[in-house]
Order: sequence, then structure tokens, then C-alpha cells
Amino acid sequence: MEKSDLSHHILSRYNDDLERVRTNVLQMGGFVEEQLKQAVEALVQGDSRLGEQVARSDVKVNAMEVSIDDDCSRILATRSPAAGDLRLIVAVIKTITDLERIGDEAQKIGYISSRLAAVERPADRYREIKHLGRIVADMVHEALDTFARLDAEAAVAIAKKDRLVDEEYEAIQRQVITFMMEDPRTIRRALDVLWVARALERIGDHAKNVCEYVVYMVYGKDIRHLSMEDVEKHIESRAQRAIGKS
Amino acid sequence: MISRLSIAVVVAVLVGLVIGRVGWALAILLGSYVIAQLWNLFRLEQWLRRRRLLTPPDMNGLWGEVIAIVDRIYRRKQFHKSRVIGLLREFRRLTTAMPEGAILLGPEHEILWFNRRAGDWLSLRRRRDRGIRVENLVRHPAFVSYLRDGTPVDGVIVHDSGEHGRWLSFTIVRPGDDAERSLLIVRDVSHEMQVESMRKDFVANASHELRSPLTVITGYLDALADDQGLDPAWSAPIQEMRRQSERMSTIINDLLELSKLESGERRLPEQPVDIGGMLALLRREVSSLEQRPRTLTLTVESDAWLLAAEGEIHSIVSNLVSNAVKYTPVEGEIELRWWTDDGGAHVSVRDTGVGIAPENIPRLTERFYRVDSGRSRDMGGSGLGLAIVKHALQRHEGTLTVASVEGVGSTFTCHFPAHRVVPRPDDYADHDAAPHAASERRIADA
Repeated sequence: MEKSDLSHHILSRYNDDLERVRTNVLQMGGFVEEQLKQAVEALVQGDSRLGEQVARSDVKVNAMEVSIDDDCSRILATRSPAAGDLRLIVAVIKTITDLERIGDEAQKIGYISSRLAAVERPADRYREIKHLGRIVADMVHEALDTFARLDAEAAVAIAKKDRLVDEEYEAIQRQVITFMMEDPRTIRRALDVLWVARALERIGDHAKNVCEYVVYMVYGKDIRHLSMEDVEKHIESRAQRAIGKS
Repeated sequence: MISRLSIAVVVAVLVGLVIGRVGWALAILLGSYVIAQLWNLFRLEQWLRRRRLLTPPDMNGLWGEVIAIVDRIYRRKQFHKSRVIGLLREFRRLTTAMPEGAILLGPEHEILWFNRRAGDWLSLRRRRDRGIRVENLVRHPAFVSYLRDGTPVDGVIVHDSGEHGRWLSFTIVRPGDDAERSLLIVRDVSHEMQVESMRKDFVANASHELRSPLTVITGYLDALADDQGLDPAWSAPIQEMRRQSERMSTIINDLLELSKLESGERRLPEQPVDIGGMLALLRREVSSLEQRPRTLTLTVESDAWLLAAEGEIHSIVSNLVSNAVKYTPVEGEIELRWWTDDGGAHVSVRDTGVGIAPENIPRLTERFYRVDSGRSRDMGGSGLGLAIVKHALQRHEGTLTVASVEGVGSTFTCHFPAHRVVPRPDDYADHDAAPHAASERRIADA
């Protein structure tokens, strides 16, 4: 499915509807991305006000999800889309759920940040969290890019980055446990940090899900429970068939 | 050609007469003529089909003319085409070297073209991203709302937290209101932002640091002034020192307020504000001063309220009023006015003071700008009042206009957009300071 595919309907209203839904999803994604960045920023800078603001703005994410959901059911009911259009709608419905979850995790980080701002910051100023936050934010950003470009190959490459996130999470977990053993007074803070790391790791998973929906949307193949190697093989064979046809 | 054909016909008729078969001779002649024409047509078609590679066929007569004309048209077209291609190539080279990013957008904000700089900054891909709506790839909420509403008018600045952490400023240029396409200009403003934030931090920190020592000095000066056992020779200097330290603290407070307004953070909550009531209170404050113009007029022409941050509006109006009081002689007049119309809401402060020369008006809102430095120092102003007014107004999408004639007086008018005007709450009980029960009421005391 190429990007021009969305503009192949004779009914231009239908095209507009599909385009609008896609744009709205990406807008929601942009907002969620910003929430995530600000939540991590709030933690690293010890800015309680920013953290609260992030936590409060989650309402907007929920409102966006509801409105896009409405649009999707309206399109399903009135246009009865088929093939690529149907896959787009299905992928959108799934994607917004994951984006909303990302929003929830960002809200959680925001809350914890505003609480941790009152506590003394550790010597490394949450360097590890900042690093993990950067990786995850990039992942969300790139996942949304592939959604905009319908770029399944890139989507698979990004989904593979999830392993990196998991490794980072493991590393933070080990580090935090060491801190707790060294100085039991920091256990409270360390537990909060662990929650933040956990939330970031979950966001990475959700970003990976978004990538999987992109592959589904483009190739109509559900790759959720396949290994990444199988997925790549599948995509390669599809690409070769496409070349052979043309 | 026609003449040659007629000669051939005559010859054929003669030959036919000689052999006694005129009809056959004519038929053979005309048949071969038609074949020759078809052959020419076929060559012409062959050439037109591959005119890029073949030289034009050599034919005479009418066919030759046709080929010459077609060839001329083709060459002219080739010439223009190569010129346009050359221009385009030049244009592309220039736009690549441009220090700014440029993206050409279609009616639905789809990307039609972009230069290399924009592609690098926004990580756009040359082939793949053409036709995709720009807000699908640049998804920053502030940018998206700018693209949708066109506000703020002078563009939006977005922090791109990629690996470079650039600050990018976006501005949309539309050739006309009904233009289908628009140009999105992207600039890297990281350096400006850095300098700006350094300046803001410096001002905020410096004024904060200056405040604590000043408090100590003021405290001791107050104690000294009250000290009965002090040599009377010292009382005048101590009074002067107190006055000066008071002025210094005004300046520092104004600086702090200005930097707070500028930093854009800690927005006070916005709520309906009773401007008429606020003006009435200010008028009462002024009338209790010893040194004041004789006539103070308050005209409230609207009982609408204004949706705004109350503290900021108060500092706007009180700065304007205190300026008017400072520069208006005792026998002069000050008029405060509040009205609404289709364009929005307006507050004006008119005085019959010294006035301002036209060349000074544009610079009034600069920090520490003084029209007449000697005189305004004596007045004890900080030189920041109008800068505060300007910034506070900007936060309410308002504008300030100044009309002034030297020696006659000045009028400072604040304009607020119509969407900030709200009706007066019904359950609001009238109190004596707010004279808005009548649609228009004037209070003046002589």
C-alpha cells in the first residue's frame, strides 16, 4: 500500500475522512510524545510544576482517543471500508489504544516526578533514566514516522529496538537494587525511580505495538506473535514478489 | 507543386493520346502520385515520432515547408525547455545553499517540495515524504496549532529534542489570502534562544541577588531615621538615602516583574475582571495623593468584563495611570476610559501633560528609555513601566497605541481582542467603587 492509496476513492469526502483520521492519530501521537518528553524533563530537572502539568494534561489524550474512536466507528458504519482502508481503520483503533496507554505512563511519570522533586536528587541526576527516556522517546517518534510514511521496513527495524530498551531497563533495575543495598534510606526514592523505568519500558512496548500495526496496515500480516527474523523474511519475500510483478 | 502536377497531367494526357489509352495513363500517374504522397507522410510520421534522434528528412515542395515549420516550433520549444530547466537547477542550487529551511505546501498542507536544510532539520526524506501532510511528520502540538489557526501571527518556536536539541522557528508565508500553496520557512534559532535565556536568567538572578542586601540597608536606614539621639546634621542625608534606596527597590521589583512576564511561565489564572471597578479604585487612589492633577475623570461606557489575569491587568493600568500623574501638572486633567466595540475592549488613559515628541513614541516601551532623562529621574520612575505594560499586554493578545502632542497631552490606549470580552456576571452585587450600573457614567471632581 502506497501513500497515494488513500486518495484513490471517487468520493472525495471518503478520502478526506480517512486522511483526517490518520492526521488526528498522528496529532495525538505528537501530543503524547511531548507529554513523555516533558515528564522525563520534569524528573531530571526536579520541576514539580512541569510534572503536575503533564499529569493534568492526560485528560486531553483521553479526549483525543474518544474522538478518534468515534470517527472510526462512523467510517465503519457509513462507508463500510474494504481491504487497505479497513486495515487502516483497524490499525488506527489499535494504535490509539496504545497511544493512550503511553499517555497514561507519561502521566504516571509526571506524578512521580512532582513527588520526587521534593526529595534530594541523586548524584548522577537520573542520568540512566534520562538515557532510557531518550531512547524510548526516539522510538515513539520513529514509530509515528513510520505510521505517517507507511514504511513497513523501518517499522520492523524500530520494533527491534525494543530489545535495547529491555536491556537498559534491566541495567537500571540492577543499579537501583545496588543503591538500595548500599543505603537503605534511599529505598523510597529508588522504588519511585524503578517505577519510572518500568513505565518507560512499557512505553517502549507500546511503541513496538504501533510498529506492528504499521506492518499489518501495509502488508495485511499480523506479526504480533512472530519472531522478528520471520517477519523480516516475510517482508523480504513480499518485496521480491512486488518487484517480480512490476 | 501544383504547377508540376499540372505539367505531369498534361504530359500523361499527351502520352495517353500517343498510345491511345488516356484513361490508363492518367490513372497510373495519379496512382503513383498518391503513393509518393503517402510515402512522404510516412517519413514525416517516422521523423515526428523520433525527432529527438533523427535529423529532419529532406523533402521538397509543401512537405519540405511543413517539416521546416515543425522543426522550428520544436527547436523553439527545446530552447525554452532547456532555459527553464537551467533556471530550475539554479534555483535548486540556491535553495540548497540557503541558510534557512523552506517547504512548499499544497492546500491540504501536503509537502510538495522542500530544500535540503529543511529535510535535514526535520528528517524528511526526499522521495518518500512528498505528498504527506506536513503535520503528520512534524507533530509538535504548538506547531500543529500554529498551522491550523495561524496564531501567533509571527510564527512559532519549537524545541526539537532530537539528538541536536535544536530550537526551530516556523513561519508560514502565503502569497495571498486565496493562494492554494504556501511556503513554510524553518529557521534554526538555537543560538538566539540561548542568548535570550542567558539574558533573562541574568536579569532575574541579578535582581534577586540585589534585593537581599537592599533590604538590610533599608532596614538600618529606617532605624537610623527613627533614632532620636542622632546628630540633626545627618537627618537630611539619611532621608535622601532612604528615598534612593526606595527607588532602587522599585527598579528591582519592576525588573523582577518584567522577567517574570517575559519568561512566560507561571501564568496567573485568567478570570473575568471588572475593569470599570478597577479604574474606579485607581481613580480613588490617585485622588488621595497630595500631588495630583486637579481633574480626574472616569468614563465607563461598558459594563462588560475582561477575561484576563487580574494582577497583570492591574499592573498595566496602574503603570499607565502613575505615568499620567507624574507628567501632568496640578492644573491639568486625566481621563480614564473603558469601552467595548466590535473590535474588542479598550482602556485608555488620557492626560493633559507634557506630551511626547513623535520621534520618541516608538521607543517608549524600551527598557530604561527616557525621553528626558533629568526630569524623569526626579520623578522616581524605574524606566520599566511601559516595558511591563507591553509584555503584560502581549500575554493578553493586546496592543498599545500612543497618541501624543507635545505640550498638549498624551493618550495611551490598550486594545484587547473581542474574544476576551465577557458579560458582567448577573449575581455580581454592585459595590460603591464600581459605577457600572448605568451604561455610561462619568465621575469628575474639580
